Amino acid sequence: MNQYLSDCDEHRACIIRNQGLVFYYVGYFSQNIINAIGDAVRLRLECSETPGGLRRKIFSIFIEMAQNIVHYSSDQLTPETDHDHEMRAGSVCITQESGRFLIICKNPVTTEWAQQLRQELEALRVMSVDQIRQSYREQLRREAPEHSKGAGLGLLTIARDSSGPIEYALEPDPRGDVLFTLKATL
Amino acid sequence: METRLYIPPSPNTPEVDFDFAARRLCLRGESYPESAVGFYHEILQRTRDFLGGLEEDEIHVVIELRYFNSSSTKMLFNLVDELNTAARAGNSITLDWYHDPEDDTMLEFGQELADDFPEIHFRAIPVENT
Repeated sequence: MNQYLSDCDEHRACIIRNQGLVFYYVGYFSQNIINAIGDAVRLRLECSETPGGLRRKIFSIFIEMAQNIVHYSSDQLTPETDHDHEMRAGSVCITQESGRFLIICKNPVTTEWAQQLRQELEALRVMSVDQIRQSYREQLRREAPEHSKGAGLGLLTIARDSSGPIEYALEPDPRGDVLFTLKATL
Repeated sequence: METRLYIPPSPNTPEVDFDFAARRLCLRGESYPESAVGFYHEILQRTRDFLGGLEEDEIHVVIELRYFNSSSTKMLFNLVDELNTAARAGNSITLDWYHDPEDDTMLEFGQELADDFPEIHFRAIPVENT
């Protein structure tokens, strides 16, 4: 597995120093692993004083990010031709800092996929809340894009459920691919 | 005509109880499968076949989902689109949309369906968290 997945640039939100850690997982993701850690995330949030609406948004962003790793990480154990029961590597961190939740995911992607992500995320970054909602409504009524394994709504959903603009980084991965980091704030 | 489609719930898929003979279609639980298209394909196909054979009938639909992911949202939209086609063909369709009162996303999506498909009798019903 890619050792750079566990590197954390969010030094103030880092697992080792931060008291606000809700959940952190690095390793291979499959749908079964998502089910199990999804339960842990839900329970952890339910035991905190986080309001129900906010918990639901955090859970939604977590699921979309984790399923993106299963679908699109370039570090995979299962064959490229498999479209079910996939297993691919990445990390997801949910942490609390100064009263806000940060949800950060990281996974390697191919150069082609990095270009696709950059295009979509640059477009999302400059949209207002209303424009994101409008774009979501339009995509819901359109056919899914050819490159998508879902409905082409994943990044729009993350942007819609975040309370500020989503941030991302695409950095050279010493192993040859591109290391993708996505951060949502609530 | 087939009488019933039943799929038991799993950690990431809903209980599907489409009792075609009783004209009652229920979806309950979670919906975030690895492939929503894969999970919903047959459900949509069989529902379409069932609705296509109806004339001036009454159908009661219950959707009570705790959470659904982005690709399931699309599949639900397609399902309600099928129901709307049946309503326009002269059938009476009632959709009970259960939602957590604290969950804006769920209620907003339900209201969007109600606005998009006005020929369906839409009822938003708040449920308390368990």
